[in-house]
Amino acid sequence: MSEKQKPGISGGWLVAPAMVWLALFALAPLVFLVTVSFWTASMFGLTSSFSLQSYASLAGDSIYIRVLGNTVKIAILTTALSLLVSYPIALFLASLKGKRKMLFVILLFLPFWTSYVVRTFVWMPILGRSGLINATLMSMGIIDRPLDNLVFNEGAVYLGLVYVYTLYMTLPIYLALDKLDPALIEAANDLGASAWQTFRKIILPLTLPAVWSGCTMVFLLCCGAFVTPRLLGGPSSQMFGNIISSQFLDAGNWPLGAALSVVLMVVVMLSLYLASRRFGFQSLFMGRH
Amino acid sequence: MLGPNQNSMALWLRLYAGIFFGFLYLPIGVLLVLSFNDSPVIGFPLRGFTFDWYHQVFNDSKFFIALFKSFSVGLVSSLIATALALMAALGLRKHFWGQQWVVPVMLIPIIIPGIVSGAVLLVFFGIAGVPYGLWTGALVAHVTWVLPFAFLTLYPRLAAFDQALEEAAMDLGASPWVVFKRIVFPLIKPAVIATVLFSFTLSFDEFVRTLFVIGAERTTPVYLWVLIVEQTAPFLPAAGVIIMLISVAVAAMGFWVSTTSSQAIERRSSSSRH
Repeated sequence: MSEKQKPGISGGWLVAPAMVWLALFALAPLVFLVTVSFWTASMFGLTSSFSLQSYASLAGDSIYIRVLGNTVKIAILTTALSLLVSYPIALFLASLKGKRKMLFVILLFLPFWTSYVVRTFVWMPILGRSGLINATLMSMGIIDRPLDNLVFNEGAVYLGLVYVYTLYMTLPIYLALDKLDPALIEAANDLGASAWQTFRKIILPLTLPAVWSGCTMVFLLCCGAFVTPRLLGGPSSQMFGNIISSQFLDAGNWPLGAALSVVLMVVVMLSLYLASRRFGFQSLFMGRH
Repeated sequence: MLGPNQNSMALWLRLYAGIFFGFLYLPIGVLLVLSFNDSPVIGFPLRGFTFDWYHQVFNDSKFFIALFKSFSVGLVSSLIATALALMAALGLRKHFWGQQWVVPVMLIPIIIPGIVSGAVLLVFFGIAGVPYGLWTGALVAHVTWVLPFAFLTLYPRLAAFDQALEEAAMDLGASPWVVFKRIVFPLIKPAVIATVLFSFTLSFDEFVRTLFVIGAERTTPVYLWVLIVEQTAPFLPAAGVIIMLISVAVAAMGFWVSTTSSQAIERRSSSSRH
């Protein structure tokens, strides 16, 4: 297509304001953070000379490594759980038509459009000592003392994370399923494929990029989790986000907090790199067209 | 999309959907029930029906100040983010140097974990000597967070937009601004309004990034967080219900505008093809 240059504002100028904003408030602060991670903190404030002290104390204290490992484990397991929970519901939504489909898509969306602080908090009066589950079990006479081990542990963190993040898995898979050509599935049926064969050989491979994009999104969100482990987790199920926030908001040790943030960023970037090798970086976020 | 020999699968899916939506809505139902429960303990068993907690929320000036701050920062940040995203989406339809970097840069705020985004801005404003607060740190954090989502909503709409209309107007001598005002904007206006509304809901619910840079001020999520952590407010469920209703109302408006807009665009583009 040989298109002559149209008179008008060049695309670069229109894109510039957004790029300048992000350079100023997303990229530059990141460079700052990396810089500060090489500073030192004392009771008199920050010392801006190069030092590896924060990274040394990070590597020297096994608790940071342990929590990082635990965070990655929780993120991976939550991602797997979300996939298991989401795929069938995406199939269900894609199988609906017309007004019913619209209704259920809206029903799926609505909770995710409301405060996730509230949606996390509400599990406390469900799982807690005087929570819904304990009250129900006691009134049925199954237990006579409330169970204390339903909340403030890792299991509750999984539940809370799946609850707040599962839409990020469901949505891309549903959109991919919805775009599938029904003729492909009819053809498979006509050729005598079983439901499982059709799924395994046609539906799953065609929705794999969407699955991958959902997994990436949920994994990223879990890596940065802070609210859920703080409210629903116990002392041993705190995640990396909680350690980072306590350095900034409680301990006031910016260099160590910055070093911890850099470590988390590196983990996230590495996983993104690995994830994008398969289908490309942009398709993780924008789908394939 | 399921074939005729897959009826049993359809039945299983329906059963599963029941469980799934139960899981999704049970906590919300619990919140609603507890907001009317006549007991100072947020929990069960139920002790009777009361409107007291709603009365307390409505008499809590801190709640309304937080709500007002959430609304104002939500409105301003969603307008700024939508304007920036709209310009970027319009610009990306043309070819220019460095074009391939625009989308990756746009995605940075989504890729950076929320907790790190908060920390990053805390350090940035701290070292730059800018005081933390609603109109400094929180506004910047919200625009930066919302911008990629506004862009991802608008960009597909504009990429699919038929440029022949614009080119025709240009050939007839219309200036770029007139083309935008008379042709492009009227066609994408509903999409833009929907983007503003969705951006608002994102900003309205934003918590982690805000917590780091808002200083002593409170948006509603930050205020609720403080109440939850301090465990001193039996009216929490009532406050939660009110916040949810506001978010749902704004999101529903967004849904409505965006579905009517996509129908309108389909109608217009099909009529322009004939």
